[in-house]
Amino acid sequence: MLTLAIPSKGRLKDNCNAWFAERGVILEQTAGARGYRASIAGLPELDVMLLSAGEIAAALLAGDIHLGITGEDLLREEAPELAGRMHLVKPLGFGFADVVVAVSQYWVDVASMADLDDVCAAYAVRHRRRLRVATKYPQLTRSFFAQARIADYRIVPSAGATEGAPAAGTAEVIVDITTTGATLRDNGLKLLEDGVILKSQAQLAASLTAEWDSEARATARTLLARLDTGAPLYAALAEQLPK
Amino acid sequence: MTAFPTYDAAAIAALNNQANAILKLFAARGYVREEPAILQPADIFLDRSGEEIRRRTFTLTDPSGRELCLRPDLTIPICRHAVETNAKFPARLCYNGLAFRHQPGEPNRPTQFFQAGAELLGLEDRAAGETEILSLTIEALRACGLSDFSLRIGDLSLFGALVDALALPAQWRSRLKRHFWRAGYVESLLYWLGHGDGAPKLPGTRTEIEALLDRQGDAPAAGRTREEIIARAMDRAAEAAALRLDPGLADAIAKLLDISGPAEESLARIRALLKTAGIALEPQLAAAESRLAALKALGVERMQFTAHFGRNMEYYTGLVFELWARDKEGPVQVAGGGRYDSLMEMLGAGRPVSAIGCAIRTERVLAARAAGGG
Repeated sequence: MLTLAIPSKGRLKDNCNAWFAERGVILEQTAGARGYRASIAGLPELDVMLLSAGEIAAALLAGDIHLGITGEDLLREEAPELAGRMHLVKPLGFGFADVVVAVSQYWVDVASMADLDDVCAAYAVRHRRRLRVATKYPQLTRSFFAQARIADYRIVPSAGATEGAPAAGTAEVIVDITTTGATLRDNGLKLLEDGVILKSQAQLAASLTAEWDSEARATARTLLARLDTGAPLYAALAEQLPK
Repeated sequence: MTAFPTYDAAAIAALNNQANAILKLFAARGYVREEPAILQPADIFLDRSGEEIRRRTFTLTDPSGRELCLRPDLTIPICRHAVETNAKFPARLCYNGLAFRHQPGEPNRPTQFFQAGAELLGLEDRAAGETEILSLTIEALRACGLSDFSLRIGDLSLFGALVDALALPAQWRSRLKRHFWRAGYVESLLYWLGHGDGAPKLPGTRTEIEALLDRQGDAPAAGRTREEIIARAMDRAAEAAALRLDPGLADAIAKLLDISGPAEESLARIRALLKTAGIALEPQLAAAESRLAALKALGVERMQFTAHFGRNMEYYTGLVFELWARDKEGPVQVAGGGRYDSLMEMLGAGRPVSAIGCAIRTERVLAARAAGGG
């Protein structure tokens, strides 16, 4: 059996269904099981599960599913080192979003990460604590700040509405996802000029730690050939799989 | 090596014997033993040492939602306790216990290890404090039965004084000092300062900046005052105009950062280089030289001075040192320490407190002795 997880709700789900439909692949929601299972005609050895985007990233990392469709931001947050754990099969051309560093527009002296570095250091001296960065992406933030050579800050985990943290006083800076920047602007925030951490979109990804028996491989070969006749998707995946 | 070691009876006995020898020496020198809790509030480490330390710290959440951690070192809990109990200075404190560090990318390295250490807090005579801690560390290693080791020293205050002597805007001086330990980056900053074409032009008058701020409507202040922002914006504009370092001087500093070798020879080279560049740092150099003389008197033969040697994330501000020996796999750091004058104030002391300390990795000392370093 090959397992494929697709998003269970929202725009990501609709885009996903449309993407399959464009390729002549129709997902049929299975009755029972409360609609969280689906199948594809002609592929009886394929089990399609509907999960939340975050669960799909975690399940791919854990090796609980073979294939999954979710945001690249979630994949990279879940597994900072993709090598050996996940293979990105194909970017899907929807679900575009950037993970960015944003500060208050009131900080007129801050335009770049180098400025933020100065402000972080001065803040630590002046306030005797580190400047706080609110985010749902602690891993991505940590490695990006390390690259930008910023050390004087700390991450505060954000459960939702990260863009409100600076106004609420729970953090001074945020790392969040944005598509048009409108939400940031509405909250009096601006993007730093070199503050794009990741340009993300929906990805079809494969777990390299799942159990890839010969049946799963054969089904994946058939499925991927149907999803993209032009590209050798399965061949590229097979190279990454254990022999 | 294994991530989760089990100590057998012989190893426990050997480690205890070593620890007792070290603690006996510490006690004889007036150091009072303390034992902080193993489980600590995560805040005190994250706020003082920065986010980097989280990658190497085991954090957990208690049932009430408070973030805790297994102590990644014992210095911060000991200093915090000294602040909270209004310890009388100078205070001499010591400890022996486990510390816990995640080792990213090295699944087979131990995640817990024993540390025996000492902290000397609030001694105004800095040179005396440094000599005291260095001698204490060396004698502690000898008390464990280790005689074959070498010493590597550096001094963050030397670079700090050097940068302060330059005609550079304050923000640039702080930037250079902050990134001191990043090999390559400081050199590229220096090159840019000496050979670049200056920073972009920015609106610089107070009126212009205030007008800009007034246009920001309801944007949150996000923890910084209006005055703080105006001051930095003005500094930034002023520095763009003033930003130029004599290329000869910039190169001389880069060369200085490259100096590493036998301590006496290194200091002589630094002295010569500074003289050529026309920078006077007599007090710092004299302090470094007299420290060297004191170490020589202790009979330490192999001493290296490395100009760019400093350590990240461990709050050091001046002298830094490491002691190295060999175990059966190769060179191994058996002890280290340094000066951390800003830590006590950051922990709430209300004023700067001179502070210097050392920590000895007793398991490594044992391994070095077993490999014939005794």
